[in-house]
Amino acid sequence: MKLSARTYYWLDIVIRLVVGAVFVTAGALKAGDTLQFGDKIASFEILPNALVNYLAMGLPIFEMLTGLLLIAGWFRRPAALGIVIVSGIFLIAIVSALARGLTIDCGCFGSGTPTRARMWMDFVRDTALFVAILYAYWNPAPSVRVESRGHAQSLSEPAAT
Amino acid sequence: MKLGDIGKDFAGVVGLAILSLIIGVAVNRFSAHPLPLVHQSPSERLQGELTRLVAAPPFESFPVETIGLDEFRPVVEQKDDLIIDARSSHYYQLGHVPGAINLARDNFARDYIRLRPSLDKSKDSPIVVYCSGGDCHDSKMVAQALTSLGFSQVRVFTGGWDAWTAAGLPTESATKAANQ
Repeated sequence: MKLSARTYYWLDIVIRLVVGAVFVTAGALKAGDTLQFGDKIASFEILPNALVNYLAMGLPIFEMLTGLLLIAGWFRRPAALGIVIVSGIFLIAIVSALARGLTIDCGCFGSGTPTRARMWMDFVRDTALFVAILYAYWNPAPSVRVESRGHAQSLSEPAAT
Repeated sequence: MKLGDIGKDFAGVVGLAILSLIIGVAVNRFSAHPLPLVHQSPSERLQGELTRLVAAPPFESFPVETIGLDEFRPVVEQKDDLIIDARSSHYYQLGHVPGAINLARDNFARDYIRLRPSLDKSKDSPIVVYCSGGDCHDSKMVAQALTSLGFSQVRVFTGGWDAWTAAGLPTESATKAANQ
């Protein structure tokens, strides 16, 4: 799929704003209740107990930090890669929980009632997030500013997938 | 996208992760209810709560600070401190010092659990306990029990109910009707 520079410019902004906002929200909700979040992490039965609470304390901050950086556009490539990695890990954790027949709440946005249907919704949402941010990371940042009048200048067409 | 670029970005990610962990641990350290560093399951935490409830420190007799009527009276009038009537609920209902709550020596555990929400607010603030007066020991025992449960400023009004009523001071009954 070949996108025009202008389309890509806006697509990049939309992905950064949406994914960034999702990560800031998710992080803020969890930072307020690290006790619950620790229980959620433990319910995946992946991490040893000794590491669970460190992740419960650090991950919400990491999500807020990377989300804010992504929105602001500072340090954006490491921030985007950080989100790729974290959402990728979430995806693996959800898939593994689904595969093992665990019925748990993903804890992605604070607490909820755990059901299998919600887990599939989480899976779909995480997949969408993961694909969007991977796309934004993999493609170079738009190298030109699009003029407000609408005609772009001296475009180097960004690589598009 | 070159592999070298990804490596550089990844180093940035590691930096962000370390920074987040430091901030997260620091925030936790200063939060009102910090997480323990090793995760405990909800059932382990409940077990801990139960242990705290059941395994109260062994009861000990030790001297408690006492006050007289001249000191007790302004305490009652100012209504700032928690006043505890250690007599049985029957006598408490017949009449008690205005504002006093009933934590009877005979029903200590039951009353303690019932009054927990208001008691816990007074962990580090002044509490005065009284009983009937004269040679009554209930106030001292309740004061000792509270002290061993972690209440730090418990005193006993030794004159008790007798001294209070003998001085003709206002009282309150279970129906809250103050009678002079």
